[in-house]
Amino acid sequence: MTLEEKMRMRSPWIMHFDTGSCNGCDLEVWALLTPRYDVERFGAVNRANPKQADVLLVTGPVTKRCEDRLRNLYEQTPEPKLVIACGDCASTGAPFHNCYNVNGGVDKVIPVDVYVPGCACRPEALIDALVLGLSMWREKVQKMVGEEGR
Amino acid sequence: MEVITYILQLLIIILAPLAVGLGAGIDRKITARMQNRLGPPVVQPFYDIGKLLAKRPMLLSRLQVVFAGAALLFHAAALALFVAGGDLIVAFFVSGTGSICLVMGAFSARSPYSYIGGQRELLAILAYEPVLFLVVLAIGLETSFLVSGIGGGLLIALPLVLLALIPVLVILLEKSPFDVPTAHQEIMSGPYVEYSGPYLAIMEVARWFQLAFVFGLVTLFFWSADPVVSAGGKLALAFAVLFVTIIIDNITARLTRGRMVRFMLTVGVGLVAINLLVLFVIGQGAI
Ligand code: SF4
Repeated sequence: MTLEEKMRMRSPWIMHFDTGSCNGCDLEVWALLTPRYDVERFGAVNRANPKQADVLLVTGPVTKRCEDRLRNLYEQTPEPKLVIACGDCASTGAPFHNCYNVNGGVDKVIPVDVYVPGCACRPEALIDALVLGLSMWREKVQKMVGEEGR
Repeated sequence: MEVITYILQLLIIILAPLAVGLGAGIDRKITARMQNRLGPPVVQPFYDIGKLLAKRPMLLSRLQVVFAGAALLFHAAALALFVAGGDLIVAFFVSGTGSICLVMGAFSARSPYSYIGGQRELLAILAYEPVLFLVVLAIGLETSFLVSGIGGGLLIALPLVLLALIPVLVILLEKSPFDVPTAHQEIMSGPYVEYSGPYLAIMEVARWFQLAFVFGLVTLFFWSADPVVSAGGKLALAFAVLFVTIIIDNITARLTRGRMVRFMLTVGVGLVAINLLVLFVIGQGAI
């Protein structure tokens, strides 16, 4: 791993967005930053600003009202970025599947890189997803560098 | 001999902001340990800068980047003036211009969050700049306005002035109780909100230069004839001040912007004034 790659891997800045979740998954996402799970040891900080974020943690089924905002936030996040769908709702819509006011899953609106199962998703699973996501991120970066090199 | 001095000065100008970056890493580590967390590695700020530089640039307006670059240039120039032994007052004003560039950068984006951040940054400048200026004046009155002419005895003569520098650093390091411009809970990144990727990295490095200048003022307070003891003592003093600000950060909650300005303009200015008054009285008595 080159130094540049290492730097990119060691500093994933998070943005958390709630698209209509029941708050269960959000609490688990927040638990990541507490002393118990402490993802800051991997260099992750919550920036709450799409322009400065690398990883979008999206919770909840995407309601029709939230759709545009989610797309907006996704587009404002500079490449290379990573989208993690946290929880059953964000992955498939789960109990809200086929409701008239939800899209059912984040991937109906924006591309998702990692799905985290669970209702609510466990913080351990979220950390696993972050680690998995970062290895995918590395591939993305290499692809991006390749494209720019051409 | 001349050449060696020049090389040494150049090295300090390059190394000082890096030391501030390392200090920021130590700060994050100590804060994490105080909260019973493990915390990121000490070199984390450098990882962040490296990553930010490697991100795809996205910008709102060219003007913003111009101001970011100007802020970096002014702060770097202030540090260079300081290290080269120049005039403290000139260095102070050059550094102040850099801070204004940061505000102008925030105002140049058509974003309400950026605007609020800019307004609050202006208030922060209003709060710390007078105190910083009085600190510079006090140092100048006690010894000399030229950095190269400043000798020892500052710590004994001006202890309250050093104390007044601590709240200034609390504001500059964006720590509670005075982290008004970047208030985490409401406006997140404040004046930096519209900067991303490489441009955010420029702003961050500009801030490191600014902090290097202010920590430079702190190091002036320790002086010894032996260069090794002098350097060690200066570093120790700077670290002690940093440690105090970390503790203040962790035991306080954020205060309102009005209270920040009021505190600085009464207690901050008052500390410097009392110190100078006592010195004056002692001086009169001695004669
Ligand atoms: S997955 Fe479960 S806990 Fe998470 S938002 Fe949906 S219903 Fe709530």
